[in-house]
Amino acid sequence: MSEMVLSKSLEDYLEVIYHIVVVEQAAKAKDIAQKMQVKASSVTGALRQLAERDLVNYSPYDQITLTRKGMEVAQDVVRRHEVLKDFLIKVLSIDESEADSVACQMEHAVTTEIIDRFTKFIEFVERCPRAGDSWIKGFDYYCGEKPQADYCRKCITQTVENFETNLKSGDEMNESTVRLNQVKPGSRVKITTNKLSGVTARRFQEMGLTIGSIVKVERVAPLGDPVEIIVKGYNLSLRKEDLDKIEGILLED
Amino acid sequence: MKMIALAGNPNAGKTTVFNGLTGTRQHVGNYPGVTVEIKKGVIKKTDFALVDLPGIYSLTPYSEEERVARNMLWKENPDLIVNVVDSSNLERNLYLTLQLMEFGIPVVLNLNMQDLALAKGWKIDTKKLSQTMGLPVVETVGHKNKGFDELIKSVKVALGASQRVSQTAHFSDSVNRALDILEKKLSKENASGASRWLALKLLEGDPDIEQEIANAEIKQTARELVNDLEREHNKEIETLLAEQRYKYIEGVFLQCVSSKLSFKKPLSSKIDAIVLNKYAGIPIFLIMMYLVFQLTFTVGEPMMGWVESAFAWLGDLIASFWPEGSESLLKSLLVDGIIGGVGGVLVFLPNILLLFLAISILEDSGYMARAAFIMDRLMNKIGLHGKSFIPMLIGFGCSVPAIMATRTLDNRRDRLVTMLVVPLMSCGARLPIYTLIIPAFFPSKWHAPMLWLIYIIGILLAIISAKLMRVTIFKGETVPFMMELPPYHFPSLKGTLIHMWDRGKLYLQKAGTLILGLSILLWALSTFPMLSKERIEEYDAQRETIVQSELADSLQAIQLSALDNLQAEESVEYSAAGRLGKFIEPVIVPMGFDWRIGTSLVGAFAAKEVFVSTLGVVYSVGDADEESESLRSKLKKNYDPLIAFCIMLFSLISAPCMATIAVTKRESNSWKWAMFQLIGLTLLAYFITVAVYQIGRLAGL
Ligand SMILES: Nc1nc2c(ncn2[C@@H]2O[C@H](COP(=O)(O)OP(=O)(O)O)[C@@H](O)[C@H]2O)c(=O)[nH]1
Repeated sequence: MSEMVLSKSLEDYLEVIYHIVVVEQAAKAKDIAQKMQVKASSVTGALRQLAERDLVNYSPYDQITLTRKGMEVAQDVVRRHEVLKDFLIKVLSIDESEADSVACQMEHAVTTEIIDRFTKFIEFVERCPRAGDSWIKGFDYYCGEKPQADYCRKCITQTVENFETNLKSGDEMNESTVRLNQVKPGSRVKITTNKLSGVTARRFQEMGLTIGSIVKVERVAPLGDPVEIIVKGYNLSLRKEDLDKIEGILLED
Repeated sequence: MKMIALAGNPNAGKTTVFNGLTGTRQHVGNYPGVTVEIKKGVIKKTDFALVDLPGIYSLTPYSEEERVARNMLWKENPDLIVNVVDSSNLERNLYLTLQLMEFGIPVVLNLNMQDLALAKGWKIDTKKLSQTMGLPVVETVGHKNKGFDELIKSVKVALGASQRVSQTAHFSDSVNRALDILEKKLSKENASGASRWLALKLLEGDPDIEQEIANAEIKQTARELVNDLEREHNKEIETLLAEQRYKYIEGVFLQCVSSKLSFKKPLSSKIDAIVLNKYAGIPIFLIMMYLVFQLTFTVGEPMMGWVESAFAWLGDLIASFWPEGSESLLKSLLVDGIIGGVGGVLVFLPNILLLFLAISILEDSGYMARAAFIMDRLMNKIGLHGKSFIPMLIGFGCSVPAIMATRTLDNRRDRLVTMLVVPLMSCGARLPIYTLIIPAFFPSKWHAPMLWLIYIIGILLAIISAKLMRVTIFKGETVPFMMELPPYHFPSLKGTLIHMWDRGKLYLQKAGTLILGLSILLWALSTFPMLSKERIEEYDAQRETIVQSELADSLQAIQLSALDNLQAEESVEYSAAGRLGKFIEPVIVPMGFDWRIGTSLVGAFAAKEVFVSTLGVVYSVGDADEESESLRSKLKKNYDPLIAFCIMLFSLISAPCMATIAVTKRESNSWKWAMFQLIGLTLLAYFITVAVYQIGRLAGL
């Protein structure tokens, strides 16, 4: 997809429309003006610009909705906001309301790649045995007063101990995967592995069940097999014996 | 003459577009040795030939349809491909488009089902799509005949500018580099201009193409390149290529399709919530099947009656040109051979048309896939596909439309297995045999259980044979079960009628002629050789004496008809059919049968119910039907219940009627399968009946 450069204020508009649309299904100019704390006339101008870029469906006096493209851009902006806020709170221990308003400023400047890095970093801090929650707390402590050498030694031995006990209790780093035939109807799964072989494996890929694609399990047939799924926007039915060989991560909605 | 191929996914509306482009000028044929049909026609107001490829999802050669489509493109080299695409299912449909572009033949992209895409809230930017993918794009709404003129125009333009370049820009640089290397090597060997496509197929490890390429060094290079690519991307090459195609499509889709957010559940999913409901699904399914069966046979029955009486009337009319009692051979040929034969062909037509009316409605509305979805578990246990259910059900009415109904099955193996076992579903024409025999030999409280037993034996044998065939002749051919559940839509009257008429016409043209030929053959078998002149004169003399005698008229009539019956019996016994019956007697004796049953079985090959009337003739009771008491008492005198049961058993399992064989030949497009059905079922019947008879006798029955 071609990268689109949107001005900071247009991104803000898109974000606000997104939040309204998620709740109300469609937005009114008045509501947008109120949320943005601007005059209704400036909203109209902005909406026109957004409509020109094919991001919103807009005509005067009508309800406003997001186009597919608009939805994606908005989601991207919102995600950037959330990731930055997360980083500010979780890693830098900034308090929530401040984090929110700062994230609002930062989100326009940061590229998608940097956001991805941020996400990874937060994940890393949360998971790495050498970092983790207590490590962040150490940072809090560090910001307050100078640490002492034996504090560090204690911290390291504690970390090793924790790591050992965690290993024993089987708490591994992998995300929990599910097999597609065990997914409850209504859930969505992102495919991670395909253990099918030969023609069947090829067929599955050709029909759009590639690694990384998202599948929704729609229903199981009255007699218990096959299973109806939605992939790439169409409905397909497959037998459980084949679905058993496909794994993925459950997505929360 | 320019040749244009029409390609697309199943259900994208290809048939509709084909009819829209060609009008009525088309003809259906088969490719040699495959069940897949190819329609050919000429595009309206042009001299471009249009060839309809089978509906396929991909160009890899893993099903018969795909192999036919690919070989057609590869070997016959059309000038242009029109790719019919379901716009409301763009991403999946574009996968085939990419494969067609890889091929190198210029492609015109036909976005059909525009109305459905719009209804989904999609706006497809065709200009952008055309620019991004580098193809002419034309929108159509097939069933409303909208856009065909533009499509033809753009075909003309594209033909003028056609240039063959295999397009692979959607693959990553590393794949394209590998293709460059292979292409260079291949183009030295192969001047066909399709080197890049061949290179791609070598990378994909396509077995057919590998065979085609003789140069071992090139194949070695391909293997090394594949190894490198697999190592670099850490996945298998097929996965890699499929993923890259879909990645590209995803990008195209995001750029060219804008959609309004829709929070409404689509209508289809609301309907499915009821129709596929855990509890309501099966009852609804059973009601639908009941309706299909009723429509086909109950509504069809009076129509069959009309056909029969029309031909009986015609037969009488023609017979009336000869003086009464004349034994003219020409009369017999016309009345019994030809008119009887044509009637025998046409009598199936109401059933076939009605069944295909029902099937077209089920298919076009989208319910057929749901029916298969519901039944698949059960049918899968038997080794069949969910869609085999309808042919099996129809088989209880008549095997001929049932075998034609196997067309709804998409893959060859499922289709052939279903076709071969359908005759074991005891059809309506066998019922007269049971109703004649059961009351003659069994006490009345056994009547119903006996009939059930016969039907159940048929079903069990069908299940066992299907399973057996799956693990023997059709081993190895595993095709995964993947069935699309298309959105529901209202079937169009025109489309439904066209489908119905297509099938009816096909039956008349292809199977009908065969059935007619076979019935004339059977007529000849039971007519020739004729009794000698002297014997006929003797009979005539006896008649004369009866007429001259002093007896009352009513007594005369009884004696005359007894004499007629005797003469009929003697002619049949003397004919080839009778001799055949006698000839096979030693073979059928182990089943407890004599030559009379043997001769009747020969007759039953014409149509199962003919068994009864032939038996009537050989027992000289004249025109007998299944309620004939005089025939029953003759049978009771000559046979016992065990033999009676064996007769029913053999009629159930053995060689289906010639119409079934003719239709199997037609639908499988090979005599091999028709003969396999004929011989296989007869042998099966023989061994089972012999076993039952011998064991029964040993057990002292
Ligand atoms: N709504 C809609 N239906 C269509 C269109 N074109 C064809 N159909 C219907 O789609 C169904 C399947 O069409 P058909 O031509 O048999 O598809 P094929 O399997 O690709 O040959 C039929 O009921 C057609 O009437 C279209 O443009 N819009």
